[in-house]
Amino acid sequence: MPREAEPSLNERAFVVQALQEGLRIDGRALDQFRELDLKFGDQYGVADLTLGKTRIFAKVSAEVTTPYTDRPFDGIFTITTELSPMASPSFEVNRPTETEIMLSRLLEKTVRRSNALDTESLCLVSGQKCWSIRVDLHVLSHDGNLIDASCLAVVAALRHFRKPDTSIEGETLTIYTPAEREPVPLSWLHSPLCVTFSFFGEEADIVVMDANLLEEQLRVTSFTISFNKHGEICQGAKLGGTTVEAMTLIKCANDALDKVKELTTWLDLKLVEDSKRRDKGGLMAELSAENER
Amino acid sequence: MPLDTSSAYPLALLRVDGRRWNDLRRLHAAVRTQAAADGSAYLEMGNTKVMCTVTGPSEENKRRTAASTATGNTGGAGGGAGAGGAEVAVEIVVGGFSSVDRKRRGRGDKRIHELQTTLSKALAAALHTHLYPRSTIALSLHVLSQDGSLLAALLNASTLALVDAGIPMSDLPVACTAGLTSAASAADDPLVDLNAQEEQELPFLTLATLGDTDRVMVLVLETRVQAARLKDMVDLAADACKSVHKSLREVVRRRGEHMVEEGAVEKGASMAMDMDIDV
Repeated sequence: MPREAEPSLNERAFVVQALQEGLRIDGRALDQFRELDLKFGDQYGVADLTLGKTRIFAKVSAEVTTPYTDRPFDGIFTITTELSPMASPSFEVNRPTETEIMLSRLLEKTVRRSNALDTESLCLVSGQKCWSIRVDLHVLSHDGNLIDASCLAVVAALRHFRKPDTSIEGETLTIYTPAEREPVPLSWLHSPLCVTFSFFGEEADIVVMDANLLEEQLRVTSFTISFNKHGEICQGAKLGGTTVEAMTLIKCANDALDKVKELTTWLDLKLVEDSKRRDKGGLMAELSAENER
Repeated sequence: MPLDTSSAYPLALLRVDGRRWNDLRRLHAAVRTQAAADGSAYLEMGNTKVMCTVTGPSEENKRRTAASTATGNTGGAGGGAGAGGAEVAVEIVVGGFSSVDRKRRGRGDKRIHELQTTLSKALAAALHTHLYPRSTIALSLHVLSQDGSLLAALLNASTLALVDAGIPMSDLPVACTAGLTSAASAADDPLVDLNAQEEQELPFLTLATLGDTDRVMVLVLETRVQAARLKDMVDLAADACKSVHKSLREVVRRRGEHMVEEGAVEKGASMAMDMDIDV
């Protein structure tokens, strides 16, 4: 397995000393994100997110399957992550690295365990038929902060996704093609987003948001926290590393909430823009099966 | 969803297992339980029972690294396990008999993997790994019985085993959990050291601190909770960590006294001296 190239001693000293003076090598403020861009595909549920040089591609797909026997009323929701050698030479196919395991666990905790998607709404016929929603996440380019970018891409793709409309008459389940009936959005309860803080310095007192790959390699520890815009923490994880003062972590949580609100607004805007782009001639309102309930 | 007994809670101020909100469960620990290992410990936090053995510091084990066990980076600037310092390799085995429903967990279980990585990274930062370049400190943890606060129990057991192995550390890493009685109401009380039943129902976090300071090594929160309540939970967990620290220090001290009685070390020998000063 090729090891990730480590930064040289000079680079290490330079970056850390600059941070101690409150400067980042790419000229950003300590709490500034890199430039974000989000593109939706022609299909529903395809999101392509770039954060600086990090690029994430998420695709949502749905199929009808039988539910798990122990949960007959729930649909199936899975998130699979794939870090291919395309993103960084240290990633290998079929052998999950630590980064990959931690990333998929974090997404699982943030999106799945916090019940962002109402899995009960995916049930079609209890114990027999349900929707299986699957998110495939591909990292196309890795320049740090995979967690925040991936979470944003997954949430964007899921909120953009439309599943085929269905109806049940007696025992027969009908799934309509997009031509017959306009697909319906998922029952989405809240949008959890992650913010990762990286800590630098002996005492871990320099706090940086959205670290790039170089900074990630040099940080002494990190803290990822997920919020939704209602101010609920969905997940928090500081998994080892240099110790951090408890008050610093609390302060980070407050900063994260502001950032998440900002990101949520940005995401809402992007989704509205996209629906406007699709809604040619204002036909959408007529085609939609949803009512005002 | 409130606990079954929560209706009794405001009246008796007691929890399902009869504890008060700030009571820790019985913490019982024994050091040097396996003679063959370099360091070993057995720890019970209520009905959560964990065993830990330490091997090392020994020469870097190529096979182990290849077998993709969780490998911790060195604490400081060292980077890989090379010249920077020792690598802390953690392996957790959860016994199939450890919980109520017998479930086989495969090697690929991501939750276990996450625990391993967390422990390995946390311990690597607390230990003076730079004293052992190009070597491996291998911890093997066995979960014998699960009843909540698993990560906390695992970390506390590792601490004791590492003390037994005589690996220098800046202070004892200790961990504990704290939770809230209900997520919705504003008048919810915080709780410490949750058992499995409480963990399933209530929002909680696991916090690990270094010694009895307020410096946080590990913070894991997996349930939804209002942001404003984070501070209460962290404060309470940090306090609980202080009492755990006291208990663990007592265990180490008793072990030291025992060694002196046994004649394994002379009183006044460097090791006993250290214990008198540090512990």
